Amino acid sequence: MSEDTFLADDLLRQLISVGEVDLLVGVSSHNPATPIHQAIQVIEQSFQQNFMRQRVVIVLMDGASKDGDGTAIDQNENALPNNGRSPGITSLRTIHRVTANFLTEPLPGVALRTILAVADLLRARACAVVTSSSTNLTTDSLARLLLPAYREKFDYVAPLYRRHKFQGLLIRNLLYPMSRAVFGCPIREIYPSEWGFSASLAAYCLNQNVWHEDSIRTRPEAWMAISAATSDYRCCQAYLGDKGALTGPTPNIVDILRQTVGSLFWCFEKDQDAWLDSDKTASAPTLGPAQELTSEPTDMDRHRIFEMFRSGVTNLEPVLGSILDQETHAEIKSIVELEEGKFRFRPDLWVRTLYDFAASYHHAVINRDHIVQALAPLYRGMTHSFLVEHADSSPAEIEAADEMLCSEFELQKPYLRERWKAKVEVKS
Amino acid sequence: MKETIVQGLHQAYSNFVHMIGEFLPHFLVMLIIIAIGFVVALVLKYLLRTLLRLTRLDRVSEEAGASRVLRLAHLPPMSELLSRSLFWVTWFGFILVGLSMLGVASLQEQISRLLRFLPEVFVAILIMFFGVAIANFLSRAALLAAVNAGHASARIVAWAIRFVIWILAITMTLEELGLARQTVISAFSIVFGATMLGLAIAFGLGGQDMARRFLEKYWGDARQERDKEPQPL
Repeated sequence: MSEDTFLADDLLRQLISVGEVDLLVGVSSHNPATPIHQAIQVIEQSFQQNFMRQRVVIVLMDGASKDGDGTAIDQNENALPNNGRSPGITSLRTIHRVTANFLTEPLPGVALRTILAVADLLRARACAVVTSSSTNLTTDSLARLLLPAYREKFDYVAPLYRRHKFQGLLIRNLLYPMSRAVFGCPIREIYPSEWGFSASLAAYCLNQNVWHEDSIRTRPEAWMAISAATSDYRCCQAYLGDKGALTGPTPNIVDILRQTVGSLFWCFEKDQDAWLDSDKTASAPTLGPAQELTSEPTDMDRHRIFEMFRSGVTNLEPVLGSILDQETHAEIKSIVELEEGKFRFRPDLWVRTLYDFAASYHHAVINRDHIVQALAPLYRGMTHSFLVEHADSSPAEIEAADEMLCSEFELQKPYLRERWKAKVEVKS
Repeated sequence: MKETIVQGLHQAYSNFVHMIGEFLPHFLVMLIIIAIGFVVALVLKYLLRTLLRLTRLDRVSEEAGASRVLRLAHLPPMSELLSRSLFWVTWFGFILVGLSMLGVASLQEQISRLLRFLPEVFVAILIMFFGVAIANFLSRAALLAAVNAGHASARIVAWAIRFVIWILAITMTLEELGLARQTVISAFSIVFGATMLGLAIAFGLGGQDMARRFLEKYWGDARQERDKEPQPL
């Protein structure tokens, strides 16, 4: 579908008045806990400090206006910083702002599609997306996302963060190693809060027939990262500093699994030609320091996590029985019997479990949403195991464990292929 | 005397020949109708099977958990079961029409009753199928939600949901078939009403403290509970 068929007339009018640009930053959604003018201020300061000569535009997604006429942002216009008026900083060009109005808060996929369409129409050379979970955005970090795409011709710029060693465990134990093993995608943060990309990647993604899919509408980030890595686009990772804590209500782990793991499994399904009979790997050089881990004391209730794992696996026995291979299920039932002190979720068992889940998702042995939900207790088991095992580990030791887990995923990839294909043959 | 016997035998033979003469065409018509019915039923079976495979009913049935129940009962997959059911219902209908061609007066009424009953049987089978599928789906959804929320009695919640939907489906099936209609509806109302009232009294009066703790846990301190888990992303 061409851009002008789904972009509103009002937005198209604004874009015509902007003309072509060099850089574009899209603010994909508004976090009620973080006023929008803070994000805009950081973006404008970054433009003024780092891109004085470039033609730039900020694209805002406004889901607050009830009548679709953009009144919400317009009414707050006085609260927004004025373009190029910060003391001591000068920009040689006007910093444009355009607003895409929606009746309600747009879904991330809808917002991203709009940003990609705007980038394509304005022929932006480098773009960045800032989401509602970007709490630690700085002028420098934004420049680090834009510069590789603008000056070094990278097509996808993923962030790397400084974070606590127990933060981002879903990424560390599942999303990163699994996407790396299956797709050869070496990007750590496949669900970033902010990321950069080139115009050619924007055009490529925009032309894919995926935008009606639920997985894309709710969490398009992983698909974009995987598409870049598997379609021979140049990827890199840029260190941005502290990840920062989430603001607002803490999302439920089941919701997060649905959005992230569900979306990743959907990518396995959609892009199976890219991995099922191929071992291609992409590269993504790191610009700046690698990710950093901190280890301040934390207040984790390990016992409760273990009990949630134990009761979950026990109660979900019939559900897990229809998802997992018999041998895998038997092993999981045996480790549930262990005392908390002796319990450990071995990496090989964890990998086999996840591959069983991915294959069952593919074959839809039960409702797919139920399959992803059934992963929650097992993820808690793995989390408990990680917290115990790495209570005193140094960042280097954790990094080594990460690499071992990635190797395990790669080692067992034939098992995934076998299970993936097995039922297809039976069905035919 | 001898003449009377010969006349009687001749009369009986004439009657028999006449009966055969009248019965045979009807019998042949019946056989033809049954044969045509067999062919029509076979065609309908293959058409329905193809249609159901195109619409991926087996996958839907698998997702809903109905296929698992069928496997436990050593029954074929859903598309096969429905197409076979259609075959037998159609052919049985043709057999009844064929039998009615024989013109046996006492059979006529029974046959027409059975013919009227056939669509109801088919609808009853559909109601049971959807009842089992919905019960499995909702009970699994409830089990997952309860387990992931840390409920101690997750299995009981799931079992209760499955039980209520099964009872509802069985009641609707029996009502569709017209079997002991009043008794079934009364029994269902009593069982369902008593269960709900019992639960309401147990939870509202007997378990005031539990209800308060439950509400506090899920609407009050939910965030505090979750914060004790590591941030996944």
